[in-house]
Amino acid sequence: MIMSNVAIAGVGYTPVFVSKRKDVNIAEMISESVATALENTGLTPDDIDAVTFGNMQTFEGLNMPHLWSAEHILAVDKPTIRISTGGTTGMSTLQAAYYYVASGLYDIVMAVSWEKQSEGDSQVGLAGIVMPEAMVMVQHGLDLFGGGGLSAMGGGSTGAASFQAMSYLHHSGADPEHIDKMAALERSNAALNPYAHLRKKTSVEDIQATPFIAWPLRFGHTCPTSDGATTCIVMSEEKVRKMTDGNVAWITGLGSATSDPSTANFLEGQLTDPAEQEPARIASAKAYKMAGIKDPSRELDMAEMYNGFAHQSLMWLEKLGCCKEGEAHKLLDAGALNIDGEIPTNASGGVFSTNAIGASAMNRPAECALQIMGKIEGGHKIPKKIRKAVSHGWGGMFQYVTVMVLADEPMKS
Amino acid sequence: MTALERIVTTSVVPLDFTYNYRVGPYLENYIQGLGRKKILGSKCPDCGKVVVPPRKVCGLCNAIMDAEGLVECGPEGTVDNFTVGHVAVVKGLIEKLDVPQVLAMVVLDGASVPLLAELKGVEPSAVARGMKVKAVFRDPTENDLSDLSHFEPV
Amino acid sequence: MQRKVAVVAQKQINSADVGMPRERMLYELVKSLYEEVGISRDDIDTFVLCSNDFNAGHTISNVFEDCPVGAYMKDETKVEADGVWAATYALARILSGLYETALVVGNSQGGSVMRPYLMMDYQLAPVYDRQLGLLNELSAAGLQAHAFLAKKGLTPDTLDEIAARNLADAAKNPDAFNGKAGASAADVAATDMLYEPLRKGHCYPFTDGACALLIASEEKAKKLTDRPAWIRGVGDSIDTYYPERDVVDVKSVKLAGERAAAMAGIGLKDLDLVELSAKFAHQEPILLEGLGLPADGGAASVSPSGGAFGAYAFNAAGLVRIAECFKQLTGSAGDTQVEGAGYALAHGQDGLCMQHNAVMIMSSEEG
Ligand SMILES: [Zn+2]
Repeated sequence: MIMSNVAIAGVGYTPVFVSKRKDVNIAEMISESVATALENTGLTPDDIDAVTFGNMQTFEGLNMPHLWSAEHILAVDKPTIRISTGGTTGMSTLQAAYYYVASGLYDIVMAVSWEKQSEGDSQVGLAGIVMPEAMVMVQHGLDLFGGGGLSAMGGGSTGAASFQAMSYLHHSGADPEHIDKMAALERSNAALNPYAHLRKKTSVEDIQATPFIAWPLRFGHTCPTSDGATTCIVMSEEKVRKMTDGNVAWITGLGSATSDPSTANFLEGQLTDPAEQEPARIASAKAYKMAGIKDPSRELDMAEMYNGFAHQSLMWLEKLGCCKEGEAHKLLDAGALNIDGEIPTNASGGVFSTNAIGASAMNRPAECALQIMGKIEGGHKIPKKIRKAVSHGWGGMFQYVTVMVLADEPMKS
Repeated sequence: MTALERIVTTSVVPLDFTYNYRVGPYLENYIQGLGRKKILGSKCPDCGKVVVPPRKVCGLCNAIMDAEGLVECGPEGTVDNFTVGHVAVVKGLIEKLDVPQVLAMVVLDGASVPLLAELKGVEPSAVARGMKVKAVFRDPTENDLSDLSHFEPV
Repeated sequence: MQRKVAVVAQKQINSADVGMPRERMLYELVKSLYEEVGISRDDIDTFVLCSNDFNAGHTISNVFEDCPVGAYMKDETKVEADGVWAATYALARILSGLYETALVVGNSQGGSVMRPYLMMDYQLAPVYDRQLGLLNELSAAGLQAHAFLAKKGLTPDTLDEIAARNLADAAKNPDAFNGKAGASAADVAATDMLYEPLRKGHCYPFTDGACALLIASEEKAKKLTDRPAWIRGVGDSIDTYYPERDVVDVKSVKLAGERAAAMAGIGLKDLDLVELSAKFAHQEPILLEGLGLPADGGAASVSPSGGAFGAYAFNAAGLVRIAECFKQLTGSAGDTQVEGAGYALAHGQDGLCMQHNAVMIMSSEEG
């Protein structure tokens, strides 16, 4: 039973998402997105009742960074909560803001997410996920940089993602060229988006000219590491009526689900198919039910998928029920995933083109919200009216999924 | 020892953590000030508070302070609070000190809030709140945070 | 609050060295809770986990907790800090109407970790305090303790007495491990001096521990137990990290307490007990003053469980405070029972010198 409607009233990005923000420190960078979110909503710091805050823990070697960022996120004297769930952190942080408002505890909550990846070492951070396993390997005399161990984790996240891509191609009937094509589409979308990191119109041939990292994934199939922050203002229905012109994006469905983390457990072998992604089905089914969506393949007007790697946009469309299994690549061939297609997918360029990790899973619903409100800056504005949109976050150890459905109308209670 | 009690502690995992923290314009100007043996703070345009080291946002009034218009504080100040350390925490472990270390919260002349620094040249038992102290800089300075070496009694 | 919500059950493990991996610790803990209540993981609508990658030594620590607590293929999220925030978030999730039951599980192994103070170093502002090496959890606590004694005109004896009382209380609490029956102020005064006036005996013990709380909506709570403890109010406030903050007159404690009391519709003087996360002895009177209570708690019993001195697992200690309030309000606190406890307040903190504070007010009666 939903007790109250909740909306995203505004979004604030840092002015750019780039590989290195040399001109500011972390707190200063985050404060830019917070100030922009207030500016875009016409709110003052006093209007904010509470703050939810998240980034990818450990990547920059920072424990509880909200503590010394308190004034820069305008949190002093306010309730504040630190959320972190890995790659999904951005959406988990936004979901926390949703629950804070839906609970009736607070009316206006600011959700802040960020990453300054240039200041840390992301691959070392990711390797921290398998540290205990690596310790055991070394203890048993196994070579971390040779043989089976390397193939699973030596290539960092790309090494593990290659298994997923292979399984996906096998089960879907898609060709490796479809990954190239999806990559070219999203990079070209990103070229239109002023807040994207890699902004270069890219052809299939450009992608195919990049070297393989681990078959079937090429360098051109992987995301960048970015510096940037995103802030969303989340509001109760009552405050939307009182304090806005009503042009907001309503959060009508949400879910999150996990699985077992054995996907990359190379000592015990591959227990779970990394392309199965059962949590995506569980989380999306829950979100659609809440949002009153019966057939997502017909009812959704756009999708923003969390895709660290280019094959994933196709895979997630299937897992989230936006099309049947094995059909995403056919939609791609038919142009349905283009910005002017039937189900524009990652019109923003996706995580694949911009990846300030902690913010990446917030940028997905933020992009949906901006498209719904018609407030997209840049050429990636979808030409049709967006009524219902699905956004998705992915992370953990390949096994954690968040979903948020947004709409131009609130749910009828 | 049973197998269940075994602890794995001897592994050396070849992971090296490198962080590159950008200081930003406020702290950059502060550090350059230390290089000239000057202590700079930022002044809140709303409440007038001067904070050392400088930063962008005033937590009291949410105002943005100016990174370029920093104001000079000190070099003299007053001890507001202190503690005498008989240990140090080194990489997460407590180590006993042979000579106690005095850590003082010093409110510099012209500043509104204290700065944490080491206090030298005084017996720990003689340190008191309200004591007048002055900054001692490294000579020559190296344009680094550690250019502000410590404080000593005036 | 738009719904009534209650704590239905609690389980905790606290030890200096629990002797098993945290996954096993969590499995044993949560299994015992399921068995006691007579439910399975199918009955949990949402899981709110509380842990920290630095304490766990594992990036994305919640991932490895999903299986042992039974969260796989279910809704789960993770909050950091000591657990009061996680419980507050679980409350918000149930209040939203989307869930009827939530399991909150916090854990960390600060007892068997080799360098627990290192995790606190990673909390320092990276471009300043972490570079200078002057500030750490203990030097900050020493400064706070000194400021407190100076402002109140008290001597360090006060700190010894507070620590001794908590240690003696903890000895009566079977869920605490660090209790010392008959602990005296002289014992505490004989411990090593760290940063004056702070001695080793004024500090919380490093702890391997975990705590699970089952929280449910009114309808579900009444089906699951005859004796729930009702959540009546929550309050939370963060202050600035920087030294302009008054660490003796702590504004965030005051604001958190006032907010929770307003929500609960009671005065803080109506409390029968407070369970405080005073990590250091001097923080107990600072907290009491922040909550508007006299130095001896007045009508409120102060941390009858022994508080943070009995056990302090970084990401479970706040949940343990709530669990202790639950025990008191349901009359199951054994030798530490406060007779007729009707209203209780659980406190959690985060950051150096209690930068961030949160409280939860609970009652035995539905209200
Ligand atoms: Zn000000």
